[in-house]
Amino acid sequence: MNVVLSRAARMVRALGMLAALALGSGLALAQEPIRIGVFQPLTGPFTKNGVEHWEAMQIARDMINERGGINGRKIEYVLADVPSPAAAISETERVITKEKVKITTGSGLSPLAIAVSQAAERHGAFHWETVGAAEVITRRGFKYTFQVGGASRLYSQAALDFALDELSRRLKIAPNDLRIALLWENRALGKSVGDGIRIHAADRGVKLVYDEGYDQFLTDMTPIVQKLKDVNPDVLITIGYPNDVILFQRKAKELNFYVKALIGVSGGYSNPELRDSIGNSVYGLFVSEFPPRVNPKALKPEALEAANEFFRRYEAKMKRPPAGHASASFSALWGLYTEIFPKAKTFEPSELREIALSLDLPMGSLPNGSGIKFTNHDWAPDKKDFGQNLRAAIGIWQWQKDGNNEVFPKELATHEPVLVPLPPWSQR
Amino acid sequence: MDTLAQLVLSGILVGSIYALMSVGLTLIFGVLRIVNFAHGEFLMLGMYGAWAMSRFAGVNPYVGLLLVVPAMFLFGMLVYKLIVTPGLDKPHLVIVFATMGLSIMLQNLALMIMSADLFDVPPMFGGRSLGIGPLYVKTELLIGFCIALGVTFAMRWIVKTTYLGKAIRATVQDREAASLMGIPVHRIFLITFASGSALVGLAACVMLPVFSVFPTVGLNFVLIAFVIVVLGGMGSIEGALLGGICIGVVQSMSSYYFAPAYGQLFFFILFMLVLVFRPAGLMGQKGTANLGMNP
Repeated sequence: MNVVLSRAARMVRALGMLAALALGSGLALAQEPIRIGVFQPLTGPFTKNGVEHWEAMQIARDMINERGGINGRKIEYVLADVPSPAAAISETERVITKEKVKITTGSGLSPLAIAVSQAAERHGAFHWETVGAAEVITRRGFKYTFQVGGASRLYSQAALDFALDELSRRLKIAPNDLRIALLWENRALGKSVGDGIRIHAADRGVKLVYDEGYDQFLTDMTPIVQKLKDVNPDVLITIGYPNDVILFQRKAKELNFYVKALIGVSGGYSNPELRDSIGNSVYGLFVSEFPPRVNPKALKPEALEAANEFFRRYEAKMKRPPAGHASASFSALWGLYTEIFPKAKTFEPSELREIALSLDLPMGSLPNGSGIKFTNHDWAPDKKDFGQNLRAAIGIWQWQKDGNNEVFPKELATHEPVLVPLPPWSQR
Repeated sequence: MDTLAQLVLSGILVGSIYALMSVGLTLIFGVLRIVNFAHGEFLMLGMYGAWAMSRFAGVNPYVGLLLVVPAMFLFGMLVYKLIVTPGLDKPHLVIVFATMGLSIMLQNLALMIMSADLFDVPPMFGGRSLGIGPLYVKTELLIGFCIALGVTFAMRWIVKTTYLGKAIRATVQDREAASLMGIPVHRIFLITFASGSALVGLAACVMLPVFSVFPTVGLNFVLIAFVIVVLGGMGSIEGALLGGICIGVVQSMSSYYFAPAYGQLFFFILFMLVLVFRPAGLMGQKGTANLGMNP
């Protein structure tokens, strides 16, 4: 009897030990962090952008980790500096192969996003692109790349729709009579947005009175401003980077080039330092971009709560409110951490891909007003397109005295547009 | 007609600023026969210096040059001692790579310390221009033009008439003979390199009211400076002024009459034509590349 008992006791003890072992390893697995490769330009000419994105991404990670992580697992970043597309490819290769990372995100701006996603796809990693907007990103037949922040076409559409639907009414000029000029800087974003505006203008039956690109190293804007004075537009839509935008604005003032309204597309016009460089003449300029802060009524309660917390933390750290692109990076990651990760079990790229494709979130689900619905070879204009978020929020905000305020579309707007038409230079 | 006049005027004014930025480069090349690939970063340093004085001491960049120019002179001496001297007797490529390395280092140092933000000084004359009939002239550019002219003539005068100028010319003509005649060749090199650096500092103070400063600002201008030096005639100071103005006008006219995207294309075409038909540049003499400054 004793023998039987002791055998049973031994079995129970062994089973107990096995259970403890299994539980222990399960716990260990639960504690293992979810590692994500983050690619941002932290040196080189795009550093400014990269640093802002990196801050926003860290806030997303910290907020999730402070809430206990994803089912007990913390999020951990493996950061890589990608100052150029060439560096982006080699760093992505390194992080995926050496650091064994299967989830990647980034990448600050389009040329880098193109490179990072290409290298990630080659290794079958799941790439969650937060702001890279070039149309080509989702048109290469990739399987694991998701462009959450929206394609550049949306910037173009927002700018032109705003001019035709809102500005024409305020300027009391019929949309068909509105003289619209387009000036673009001839790198990836400028060209891509310029193409989008041209196509959308044709769709809406509008003829542009001026359409020209310029070289990024142009140091004298006199010829451009002179040409614009010749065509005398009512509205100027322009895409540029910080340095050339400052040169342009100063030259416009110097040569007394007056336009009734100016819509800058992302890049230099959303640069927070623009006000320091061109002073009060910044007020009244419109920017077509990711919305920095949207109407609280447009957001779901949990998205609003996250947005408020993000704004509070970002301002405390950076001493200024986040620009739209930083908000977009935060929002995209917030979507990844709250909508995809909690449903994942293996965190393998194929599983994450399926969850991403199954999402059908209405506008207002993410903290910057976006929703999520990805294309999956089912988008009418291009059946090859995969992973483009059709519900990315892109709107128009305006440099106003009390901040950068969203003014278009109506559902995202927090303020009414002001200074339409712009006052003459002598009063700005 | 007004448009044409405006374009030519703007081209001349901007071109003279380019020239001012190139004088230091051509001086160093003319005397030492080395190319300073960190020239653009020297400009960036000078601009940050002028900006810092304006930002923290409220000193106008035109006054700030009284400190920036001597500081850049000292910086030039330091670079000469630490980086140029060890490479002087070695193959040309050593100094090319040494100055290129310095350029990358300075750029990244600026990124670490100053971040990639753009900095500038508030517009000095209300941001508006002087109106001359139908033409607009930016006051800051006009000041830059006058300084560029002044510097060119002053440099010409120093090289032609002073004892230092004679020593420089002697060194250019024949280093060994000059050395045998008791001219301290290495000191002449040191003074020339430091002066070249000081001239970039001067250009930086003149440019800051017009252009923003950021860590890679040198890249926007250094290519133009190299073109101007070759176009004007390597080592020729008046050539730099003429070359600068040519580039300014060509850039302005071609951007207006053709397309702004091709502004650089046209001045590179001009550059190639000059190299093919007049390899010594507009004001240089044959064999300048080997001979150095036009004595």
